[in-house]
Amino acid sequence: MKLMPCPVNGLRPVSEFFYWGEVRPMPDPDRCDDAAWADYVFNRNGAPGIKKEWWYHTPSGTWFIAERDTIRDEVLRTWLHASPEAEQQ
Amino acid sequence: MRASALHDLHLARVPDGAGWIAAAGMPMPAAFPNEGDPATLALADASHWQRAGVKGPGAAAFLEALGLPVPAQPNRWTPLPRGGLIARLGLTEFFIEDAGAIARLIANAPATIGVYPVPRADTALVLTGRDANEVLLQTCNINFKALERMAGQLALTSMAGVGVLIIPQHAKSGADDIPLYRIWCDPSYGPYLYRTLLGIVEELGGGPVGMTGLDHLAPSPSDNIQPTGNP
Repeated sequence: MKLMPCPVNGLRPVSEFFYWGEVRPMPDPDRCDDAAWADYVFNRNGAPGIKKEWWYHTPSGTWFIAERDTIRDEVLRTWLHASPEAEQQ
Repeated sequence: MRASALHDLHLARVPDGAGWIAAAGMPMPAAFPNEGDPATLALADASHWQRAGVKGPGAAAFLEALGLPVPAQPNRWTPLPRGGLIARLGLTEFFIEDAGAIARLIANAPATIGVYPVPRADTALVLTGRDANEVLLQTCNINFKALERMAGQLALTSMAGVGVLIIPQHAKSGADDIPLYRIWCDPSYGPYLYRTLLGIVEELGGGPVGMTGLDHLAPSPSDNIQPTGNP
């Protein structure tokens, strides 16, 4: 059984979670050029590596960010979006 | 009149009028044929108790202003002085179960910024008996034995594929202390979860318990609920 550490609920089976894609900062649509905006809207980075991703713990309704090594499928750490750890990112 | 989401399932086992009682305004069977022995393994419907929810950044301060003992950390619960309980489900979300007074208090409170009342109509179950952990082992993925050792803990997890809130408590059966688990889920999943749990309970030699048996196990919120420890 794969386990995922939820920052609120602790270590839980990954079946209790939902993956919501990579954390991608949105460029300001009023300031960026069309190419940068189109890149943000349409393109996704499929290259493996250490990525920040949105995850959701379904039974408790907790959204959080996980840093995951997608080559080894290993979760390095997780934190809440609005937590002090998030400030350090 | 309020009705349990499991009303039709109860009706299939106990014919209408034959031993049904009004429990807190909700028709419930007083007893089932072939009832389970609560000391060994039994499952009861406790949906007749009243529930309320509050969420939002101002929820904790709002509940404290109402004079409620608000748990300081998420995933903790504490009994209410006049029976019932209050649980902190997340950083800013709370669940309350009592005889109905607090739900009315929240409904009648003036609108406050950052406080959102959440109407709750959960299906509430009580799973009890020495073999209760066997049922949890078959339906959940977390270690409830470890959870029970930490007083005042609750778990939001998946049970047979359904998101549930589970609180471990204890009940008295004669001189013995037996494990008792309070389980809440969305009422639309209630019949599925009840059927699934009851199937396992009956396979393990247990059975359903009606209102009379439930009152002995977990007194209704106007009385005292015995917590696992001192949260």
